[in-house]
Amino acid sequence: MAERCAVVGVGMTKMSKCRDDVSMAGLVREAARRALDDAEMTWADVEAVVIGTAPDIFEGVMMPELYLADALGAAGKPIMRVHTAGSVGGSTAVVATHLIESQVHTRVLTVAFEKQSEGDTNFAFSSGRSGGVGAGGYFAPHIRAYIERSGAPAYVGPMVAVKDRKNAMKNPYAHLQIPDISIEMVMESPFVWDPIHRLESCPTSDGACAMVLTNEAGGKRAGKAPAWVHGTAVRTELGWFPGRDPVNPRGGQDCAADVYRQAGITDPRQDFDVVECYVPFSWYEPMWMENLGFAEVGSGWKLTESGATSMEGDIPVNCSGGVLSSNPIGASGMLRFAEAAQQVRGLAGEHQIDGARRALGHAYGGAAQYFSMWVVGAEAP
Amino acid sequence: MRDVAIVSFAQAPLEQPEGQTETLMLLPTITEALAAVGMTRRDVEFTCSGSADYLTGGTFTFVQMLEAAGAWPPISESHVEMDGAWALYEAWVRLQHGDVDVALVFASGRASLGASLRETLTFQLDPYYLAPIGADYVSLAALQAQAVLEHTGKTEEDLARIVVERRRDADGSPNSAVPGDATADELLKSDYVVAPLREHDIGPPVDGAAAIVLVAGDRAREVCAQPAWIAGIDHRADPHYPGVRDLTVSRSARQAGENAGVGRGGVEVAELSAVCTPEELVLADALGLGDDVAINPSGGALVANPVMVTGLARIGEAAEHVFGGGSRALGHASSGPCLQQNLVCVLEGRS
Amino acid sequence: MSTDPVQFMSHHTAVEYKVPAPSLLSVHFGQELARARIIGHRCPQCSKVYMPPRGYCPLCVVETTEADEVEVSTDGTVTTFSVITPLQYQGQKETEDYVQGTILLDGADTTIMVMRMDGIPISDMRMGMRVRAVWPPEAKRPDSATASVNRGMGLGDAVERWEPTGEPDLTREQIAEHIL
Repeated sequence: MAERCAVVGVGMTKMSKCRDDVSMAGLVREAARRALDDAEMTWADVEAVVIGTAPDIFEGVMMPELYLADALGAAGKPIMRVHTAGSVGGSTAVVATHLIESQVHTRVLTVAFEKQSEGDTNFAFSSGRSGGVGAGGYFAPHIRAYIERSGAPAYVGPMVAVKDRKNAMKNPYAHLQIPDISIEMVMESPFVWDPIHRLESCPTSDGACAMVLTNEAGGKRAGKAPAWVHGTAVRTELGWFPGRDPVNPRGGQDCAADVYRQAGITDPRQDFDVVECYVPFSWYEPMWMENLGFAEVGSGWKLTESGATSMEGDIPVNCSGGVLSSNPIGASGMLRFAEAAQQVRGLAGEHQIDGARRALGHAYGGAAQYFSMWVVGAEAP
Repeated sequence: MRDVAIVSFAQAPLEQPEGQTETLMLLPTITEALAAVGMTRRDVEFTCSGSADYLTGGTFTFVQMLEAAGAWPPISESHVEMDGAWALYEAWVRLQHGDVDVALVFASGRASLGASLRETLTFQLDPYYLAPIGADYVSLAALQAQAVLEHTGKTEEDLARIVVERRRDADGSPNSAVPGDATADELLKSDYVVAPLREHDIGPPVDGAAAIVLVAGDRAREVCAQPAWIAGIDHRADPHYPGVRDLTVSRSARQAGENAGVGRGGVEVAELSAVCTPEELVLADALGLGDDVAINPSGGALVANPVMVTGLARIGEAAEHVFGGGSRALGHASSGPCLQQNLVCVLEGRS
Repeated sequence: MSTDPVQFMSHHTAVEYKVPAPSLLSVHFGQELARARIIGHRCPQCSKVYMPPRGYCPLCVVETTEADEVEVSTDGTVTTFSVITPLQYQGQKETEDYVQGTILLDGADTTIMVMRMDGIPISDMRMGMRVRAVWPPEAKRPDSATASVNRGMGLGDAVERWEPTGEPDLTREQIAEHIL
């Protein structure tokens, strides 16, 4: 069947509210350059480029792969741009993986970015119309439904917000650095979309992430430990129809089941050493823990409350600080996939989980309707 | 590489009911493409589509199209913010794995909702050096046209004759936006839009939707009498800035054509996404197309330019040639200023 | 004159788009709202009632027509809600907190998203609350053709406000399948 795919280089930019020191081209090049350096390769080694980013209106450049082709050394090469809403960073990595696994290419550069400071994200979300509520306003009613359904205590969401920002202190690339963050501080921050407190919400960030993927021969030759792809999956479901469950979407369950089957995962909590999942609003951690099979329905919040998802727990989630600490929307999914890879490569620096052998990278988007996931391991599958 | 074939192609007619939504334009098109090979949405194992927000000024507009695709129960699906031809490429790559056999590819767009495509596509350009000078796609194509005419010795009349032929070939087609009976003399009487290009030199932007079904392996023969096998498919990019390129040639189209194997047997038909007349000359040269090749028998993009669908429709029309008994055809797609990116798909019939 | 290096330049661009002409179905839906009637389409295959009607059932992927038209009640249930503190951006007109509610009207299988639930104090809002749509006086009902643009997934400004019906709240189990 498929050729094996290895992640041999990872690069990311410092994420912040406004990267006023680089243009979009500079931003993607910074991430790509770091990934190539990590892979001990040059631009000339790259056969194809796959780039992902969320709506063009966030930066005001339509189909930016055209303008960015030069910055990414894509002249004479194929370059394509994936767009699957918030999950795009993940699905971009999935498309790049497919190019390797199908043997169409042997070395692919994949990049995802967002430079939100160049546009107005709220204007974009609402298409310029009054009454736009942004992503948080859309998800808040579902979060309310989860809290109500599960009976979770109100402090669980704030616990996630604190955990992820404390983790971010160990990630020099992360946007938010809030050293004195506490549950009280989070619960005292105003509601923006009740029941979401401001400090339970992701920031708006500029940032880019890049990876170099190779075939098996490339993985074996790599100077540094590669991460091996054990499975990839994407699922999409309708966002609105009678009886839809947006709290525990079937698309997420099906996507997880598919990638787990490929990777031989039967008990996620036992089989994974670390998880990077897309949590833009704190309550999504317990919700995704249930959706991804780490906890029974209604009990995801107990994983958080017990400390299981902290770096000292048995299933650390978002050691990088996650989306709650950095959210350049188009890049966020790829950051999850890349951070998972770094964990199993042993290259996650201060936020490394010792001995991590298998990790899950997860991204979602739209009305919690687009899902992309990968499983990576320290050993080849 | 696994054998993958195009087994059907459907395109929405230009004439649509008043107030028709993009979703409702797409829904029956997808149904038609699947029904042509006895399939329903339940048979599809991977879906990929192409579209662009900027055509309608929306945000995440492709999400609405899921309702035409039938995304329940959840489907394995992806999307590119590009012409559907690149969605077809992604689907072809996905089918190489061997675990799934059937893919649905579609594209849609409503160029009619923008004030002008010239304004809209200016947003595709480098925001520092090109967009602020208002370099729209027609003006850039005109620069390319001047270079091409000078280099080849062809004239504006030669360009008009191309248009006459395309319109004549497309006469009566539900996907042509122009009358079929123009003469070169009449066309040349109109004023320049941007010299040397006149209105007839530019494919009119229209709304559109199209769908293609891909099937891998022997299953293709089970559902289609004459599958259009993808003998080769490749895409390449040139540097973004027209100023650093020789606009009389298209290196990326040449590369893509070579990699896709156009030369390995030639083609009888070439459906090219030339949205301005000089692009046809550049592409024919880049792809090594001689006088024996029928170019754009459907009329191509000069008779109607359904933006984001154009390339996918060219590949579909090339497939039609094979469905009808032809041996080899190519479909081409492009993206960006002055043919910056090019995709070539070579199709063949096999007995 | 400043000698600081330039880091940001404003590059404001404006592009005009046409709002698509409302479909005949959308105009008809608006006309019925102006008559204080809420209509939906029942899918001929799965019998689910879609309100607002789209002209197709996205689950069965079949088109629906006038033959599938049914009336939906003005009474319903708030299945979930959020209190929104409006973000300011170009085009935003809201400045004060307001409730955004998801409502399942009796007779419909789809919910509507009500962008502003005027008429009920924010502190009174509860999941499961029974509510009723209150129409503006006839003379003030919006013109159906132009109003369709702003209706989105709901009834737009065809409804003046909502009021509690006074019936007992629905239970968590009863609304569980209609969060969206």
